[in-house]
Amino acid sequence: MWDFISKYGLIALLVAFPLTYAIIDVAGGEGLSRIGNNLVAGLSNGAIWALIALGYTLVYGIIELINFAHGEVFMIGSFTAFALYSVLGLTLVTGPLGLVLGLLVVLVLSMLVSGSLNVMIERVAYRPLRGAPKLAPLITAVGVSFILQNVGILWFGSSQKGIPDLIRAQQELFNIGGVEVSRADVLAVVVTIPLVYLLTAFVNRSRLGKAMRATAQDPEAARLMGINVDTTISVTFLLGGLLAGAAGLIYALYQTNVWYFQGFTAGLIAFTAAVMGGIGNLRGAVLGGLIIGIIQQISDNRIGNEWTPAVVFAYLVLIMVFRPQGLIGEETREAG
Amino acid sequence: MSKLAELRNARWAPWMPAIIAVVAVALFPLFRPPLDATMSDVIQALAYVVMALGLNIVVGFAGLLDLGYVAFYAFGALAAGWFASDHFSKVNGGEGVHIGVSDFVQTAFPQGIHVSFLLIVIGAILVTALAGAVIGLPTLRLRGDYIAIVTLAFGEIISRFAANGDSVIIKGYALSNGRESISPIDQLNLPLVGEFDSATNLRFYFWTALALVLVVLFVNFRVRDSRLGRAWIALREDEVAAASMGVPLVRTKLTAYAIGATFGGIAGAFLGVYNNSVNANQFQFGISIFLLSMVILGGLGSIWGVVIGATLLSFVNTFLIPDVLDKGSFNDLLSNVGLDFTFGEVKFGVFGFILVLMMVLRPQGLLPERRRTAELTQGVGGDEAIVETRA
Amino acid sequence: MAVLCLFGVLALGLAACGEEDEGGGGSSGGKAQGTELTIYSSLPLQGTSKEQSEAVIDGEMLALQQAGNKIGKYTIKYVSLDDSTAQNPGTADEAQTADNARKAVQDPTTIFYLGEFNSGGTKVSLPILNKAGIPQISPSNTAVGLTTDEPGADPGEPDKYYPAGTRTYARIVPKDTIQGAALATTMQEDGCKTVHIFNDKTTYGAGLGRNVENSAKELGLEVTGNDGTDRNAPNYRSLAEGIKADCFVGSGVTGENYIQVFKDVAAANPDIKLYGPDGVAEAAFTDPKEGGIPADVGARTKVTVATLSPEEFEKQGIEEAESFFSAFEEEYGIAKPDPYAIYGYETMKLALDTLKAVGDKANDRKAVVDQLINNTKGRKSVLGTYDIDENGDTTLTDYGLYTIDGGELTFDKVIKAKG
Repeated sequence: MWDFISKYGLIALLVAFPLTYAIIDVAGGEGLSRIGNNLVAGLSNGAIWALIALGYTLVYGIIELINFAHGEVFMIGSFTAFALYSVLGLTLVTGPLGLVLGLLVVLVLSMLVSGSLNVMIERVAYRPLRGAPKLAPLITAVGVSFILQNVGILWFGSSQKGIPDLIRAQQELFNIGGVEVSRADVLAVVVTIPLVYLLTAFVNRSRLGKAMRATAQDPEAARLMGINVDTTISVTFLLGGLLAGAAGLIYALYQTNVWYFQGFTAGLIAFTAAVMGGIGNLRGAVLGGLIIGIIQQISDNRIGNEWTPAVVFAYLVLIMVFRPQGLIGEETREAG
Repeated sequence: MSKLAELRNARWAPWMPAIIAVVAVALFPLFRPPLDATMSDVIQALAYVVMALGLNIVVGFAGLLDLGYVAFYAFGALAAGWFASDHFSKVNGGEGVHIGVSDFVQTAFPQGIHVSFLLIVIGAILVTALAGAVIGLPTLRLRGDYIAIVTLAFGEIISRFAANGDSVIIKGYALSNGRESISPIDQLNLPLVGEFDSATNLRFYFWTALALVLVVLFVNFRVRDSRLGRAWIALREDEVAAASMGVPLVRTKLTAYAIGATFGGIAGAFLGVYNNSVNANQFQFGISIFLLSMVILGGLGSIWGVVIGATLLSFVNTFLIPDVLDKGSFNDLLSNVGLDFTFGEVKFGVFGFILVLMMVLRPQGLLPERRRTAELTQGVGGDEAIVETRA
Repeated sequence: MAVLCLFGVLALGLAACGEEDEGGGGSSGGKAQGTELTIYSSLPLQGTSKEQSEAVIDGEMLALQQAGNKIGKYTIKYVSLDDSTAQNPGTADEAQTADNARKAVQDPTTIFYLGEFNSGGTKVSLPILNKAGIPQISPSNTAVGLTTDEPGADPGEPDKYYPAGTRTYARIVPKDTIQGAALATTMQEDGCKTVHIFNDKTTYGAGLGRNVENSAKELGLEVTGNDGTDRNAPNYRSLAEGIKADCFVGSGVTGENYIQVFKDVAAANPDIKLYGPDGVAEAAFTDPKEGGIPADVGARTKVTVATLSPEEFEKQGIEEAESFFSAFEEEYGIAKPDPYAIYGYETMKLALDTLKAVGDKANDRKAVVDQLINNTKGRKSVLGTYDIDENGDTTLTDYGLYTIDGGELTFDKVIKAKG
């Protein structure tokens, strides 16, 4: 009974947030286009958070570490993507075919860079600490995150850097009853869905995926069953990094702006998303990302940009109080 | 029995190194110019020690991972902003309220609330103890990293309120001045001793900070060895077992939050006064992380370890990187190996590198708590050890 | 035990300190010793303001170099300090700023302190330097309350920053009331009826935002909103969609994510006219090749800066300006330096000229302050001809209006601010 109320009560509360504004709009004679625009922007922003959140959730699921450096892995992905623009000669005047092919190459390369970076971080900073007190790797994660931020500063300077808007991100693609859908919105969703699908398929069906789930449940038992725990953990970091790299490119195309600090902020948001959905749960991370995206955009539009983080975190506290395992998470050892 | 052995066996003998260290530190300002930069580095380090000791109560003793400790720093600093500046300029019909402050403050700052530093500290303690308990409430059902998340969320919410406090207006009084800073804050003033001016002499700030550290250390030792401290440790080791042995979970947890928080408030109030300004820019998530690094690096739950960790990291930040590494010879070293940047440009990175290096070399912390060392080397038996130590 | 010990030490320290309170350089209006004088510069060298700070330093170094590091019999030493920290990059960290100010106070050879970059930082360093009687010039502060109690200032300002009771602080950039009026005047001339403002919530951005709001209302424009922005936000799309006005002012600095702000406002409001203050007047904002706003957004954006073009100076017959532009190009290979380089140059030049004017007494802080605040009159500079008034403010009111053309700030006209 309590479970039912806490789960659906929170979801009701979630739905109530846009619904209230929709009713106010309609009552004020504004129609539904404003809330529609908020939702579209929220979903596409949320798709980026979802990709990053998956990385958090994968890593947390398997070694119970809040990987503070994950946001920076995403940032490096963004930077790589931008650096590749000029290497591949992608400019504002590149034709559509060249652009699509070029961006596919950029996507693959930035995913690989972020993926291998994440594996390397695990080797250097986390693996030596397996068996150390639980909080020690948390601090190396912070250390790595600082190092990567500094790499970002040396690479592209310390201020936000606008980059070429290759896809004319904010151009309207189609319009449904006053709700504008821009190219960036479509891009974010179109890249995210197949990646999430592939990831879930991998984790659920492949041998390695099975090994990952086994290690997540009980590393000792997994080892006894002949699973190479070290390799499994490396693969997990690789997957998280790959998704972060993809998110990096989408972010660069969507926001047309890179900054060494973007990863820190995005990491915080994505981590929140992972927790909201139920940490360790892949579908939960995606759901959490989308929810946060929507809350952010509605709050930006209605309450004020300066209050948005407070709104997001207030909602997080509510979820944690009433449903610590997250919206669709299962009971875990820690959230009992 | 020889004289020496007698000395060694005296009850206060184990304290001897600490006492010598304290005396040495206390005498240090006399050998430095009154506005010495190193002295100011030490003052900041001491303030961080106070905060790290507070965080250590929550994380180290009670085992409640707190990622939002910056909230208490914010409350403490805001207390200084509220009660020692002309921020509430309309109070008392524009006449201001002055309690126990110097004539200079009374004439120079006729408006606002200006009270003695001791009262500010008491105010900060009350505010932060309450805030600590309130933030602790929603975490009572939670364990482990979930506590970290809720505290992190509160830290962010409170820093957001501090940053937007200029538009949170209650009965005509703004909560804060946001990122435009409340400034100047009254100078440190203490009953009997008088007012000290940080623009001409830092020594009294130094001794005040040292006194705060000593008081906080004293409280720390007394509390740790008390019934409450043992309850915290029991809680940390095994919550279920502790509860079944009759440890009142709610009260024990909330007191940990409240007492830990007050130290943040004390340090915040001191830093607000010392920095002469309270700006919401200061209340960033990075501070919580910085403090947690100090606690973990020093040795979770180990009081002396935390003191060392906090001092060390604070010095890395204020002294080692800017004043030692970012100098000609070290920078030449970089360019000699073909690197095209100076240490000044990679302060972040150097700090991060030091964190990683220290943690990899000494994961248990520089001076681990005795109880923890025993666990790590001998194990506490069975599955629990794996759960506890699995990274 | 330990506590007891401390009290002993404290008492001892009290006595000791009472005897040897030498005051260092702390005595008000003291004389600097020897023939070496030091000029401190304090700017945020880490984080988002790094580029602007470096431009300021380039300008300052050029002016010092032109003087051959010497004024009369005095050798001038230049020390550049960083007022930001790794934990608090991009802006003046309070603790670090206070440290910098104390460093200058403690040094008996200190004769000038140039900084801070952020008005919020000056709120910290000014009271400390004021007590020691050290003359201070800021290259960029515009917050009203630092010098006057005009609208936009907080209660108690500016007196609370001058504990010594005398003025020691001057700035070369007009205060926000002037820039606010300049922006409002421009918008009125461009036919704006309604104005929406975003501000970055810093002392600079929020303060200027209030002044734009006041001036716009005085000129009969309707202000539809003045929203604060969060610099860590990934984008401002939905915030920008809420704008219902025909003109927009982005009252912030580049480093507070204002490239993204302008882009998102432009995309969400295809017909809106965009205006920016000197906080965004730099290549990093204007030039797409440097990572600035795209050319199509730039074409819709106008920027106000407190400096005019080389041609305009020529028209006004200010030779100092011309020689600066050629010297800057020779030294750094940049024909059109960013405004912050110009501000930096003028800051140092004003300091050096002040020292020159007092001659042998250039080591006397009191004489230097007096010269700076009371006798800087009819000064011909790279910013135009101005006085420093008794508050330490420049009397300059001419603002240059710049458009963005090919990624560069291009001088359009001089604005005579109304109101």
